[in-house]
Amino acid sequence: MKEIIKIEHLHKTYDTGAVQVHALRDVNLTITEGEYVAIMGQSGSGKSTLMNILGCMDRRFEGTYLLDGISIEEQGENELSRIRNKKIGFVFQAFQLIPRTSALKNVEIPMIYAGMKGEKRRKKAEALLEKVGLGERIHHMPNELSGGQKQRVAIARALANDPAILLADEPTGNLDTKASHEIMEFFTKLNEEGATVIVVTHEEDIAQYTKRIVRFQDGQIISDTKVVKEG
Amino acid sequence: MIFENIKLAFSAIRANKMRSFLTMLGMIIGISSVIAIVSLGDTMRSMFAKEYENVGVGLAYVYIITEDGYYTENEMFTQEDVERLKEAMGDDLTYVGFETGERTDLQAGRKKEKVIISGLAENPTELKDPKIVYGRMLNDRDIQGKRNYAVLDKETALNLFGVENAVGKTVKTTINQESTELMVVGVYENTDSALMRMLGGSGPKSVYVPESIMISADSSNWTINFCMNTEGDMNKTLERVKAFVARMKNHDLSEIRSESAMEEMGMMDSMLGSLSMVVGAIAAISLLVGGIGIMNIMLVSVTERTREIGIRKALGAQTKDILIQFLIEAAAISAAGGAIGTALGISIVTIGGAVVGITAVVKPAVVAVAVIFSAVVGLGFGLYPARKAAKKDPVEALRYE
Repeated sequence: MKEIIKIEHLHKTYDTGAVQVHALRDVNLTITEGEYVAIMGQSGSGKSTLMNILGCMDRRFEGTYLLDGISIEEQGENELSRIRNKKIGFVFQAFQLIPRTSALKNVEIPMIYAGMKGEKRRKKAEALLEKVGLGERIHHMPNELSGGQKQRVAIARALANDPAILLADEPTGNLDTKASHEIMEFFTKLNEEGATVIVVTHEEDIAQYTKRIVRFQDGQIISDTKVVKEG
Repeated sequence: MIFENIKLAFSAIRANKMRSFLTMLGMIIGISSVIAIVSLGDTMRSMFAKEYENVGVGLAYVYIITEDGYYTENEMFTQEDVERLKEAMGDDLTYVGFETGERTDLQAGRKKEKVIISGLAENPTELKDPKIVYGRMLNDRDIQGKRNYAVLDKETALNLFGVENAVGKTVKTTINQESTELMVVGVYENTDSALMRMLGGSGPKSVYVPESIMISADSSNWTINFCMNTEGDMNKTLERVKAFVARMKNHDLSEIRSESAMEEMGMMDSMLGSLSMVVGAIAAISLLVGGIGIMNIMLVSVTERTREIGIRKALGAQTKDILIQFLIEAAAISAAGGAIGTALGISIVTIGGAVVGITAVVKPAVVAVAVIFSAVVGLGFGLYPARKAAKKDPVEALRYE
């Protein structure tokens, strides 16, 4: 299988002035196409730092990071913007929809930055919202949607430019149990359709939806195990 | 992409209507005051230009300066000098004569009116061309024949005789300390312009009589009045008159001075022009204040929308996309303010002009400069906040509460 993510000897240090905090220490991780991975750890374990680096939002690290064959540490700021736009679909804990902007417009944003023309863009955004089950609510504003619905808009938005990976940072953190399971089932469905999905979480039952769990502690990987499905 | 950004800018402006309007207000006040003030200046200039046209742009007089201010016979002009100048200049001068004006009373029965008696030489209408309502204006035969004729204004006629049409009636007056009777041959209507009315110019009215009855053949004057043909080059004509007078009176050319309506008009025009420029520049300071207002609100907006900036960056916006988004927003506020200000400025001048009864002059160039200036102000003051937005780190921005 094709390697989508290949990280070698990744170090990340935050210089807070008085002390140096080692957020990541010699992390090596390879994720292949079609995998469904959970990255787990307590807060401060370095999983958020890894998430920012995986998402190409933070380039200030040591080591090498190959994303879909592109070495990220060699890219300039504009190239990183383009990579985020084309290769990565973000889903955040706090949904991060743009306020006072309809679901449809929110989904269109990544396609606008990709330079897609108006009519085509609109059609695709409608199709994506249909796919996440919000076909009836495309013109709703974020404040008119429930948490689960907001997160589904965010997933539709993440899928907009057919990214190489879906990167979800605590996607269920702001949701109730029912909505959480709906969202995770949706990720599972996307994975079954072939999407590479990475979920960062600290909840064991959320991680159990995935097929592989990578556990972090003090900036290091302490375990990397396959999930054995019961039944 | 640009089109998307423009749509985005307007939706952001709509989202904060009150705030956007208050921010625009600075630009609205600035632009409208600049346009109003500069247009007021232009209106004054065009009014003065018309005023001189009414009086006669070709009017001028020439005189000799003396060292001590006393005029001896040598520096005075005689009737003969007037005739020689008239002959020498031919068609280039349409009128040549002495300036003769005398404050005196007109009397009819028991009624008296203070007037200025003004003598007119040949071609009288070249110097004064009043709007005759009854009878006629003086003509060359009246002047050559030294007829004791007078042309009064309507009001004076009404006050003296109780009727406007005083043609054929006689008035008594004193010219050169001599009691004289004049017959009214014409009545004119005072056509002072709005400008003159505004300046309150309603002193004693003029009564026109032939110059020949006011002066004797041997009388002299320190100036010669003349009217230049406006079809020729008036500057050249003026120089030729001075040169001729210098030769005729045996004086150095540097001692010959002239005053002309043309020069005075030019001076007045440039004075009013620079005055309105200066006041306009002061008004332009309010544009600067408006610009600072835009910068202030854009900084607030950038801070408020930190999270949005983070989201956009995460979704693939490049630095330049964010920069353009906020720049267009600032420019749109500024340009909208500029457009409203322009409309307001033009209406102020037009309505104000209509109220005092003058035609306002709004030059398109002034409007163009004001609008371009407002857009530049918007871009200029929008640049710093926009750069601040564009430079935000996506990780930090996403975490902003």
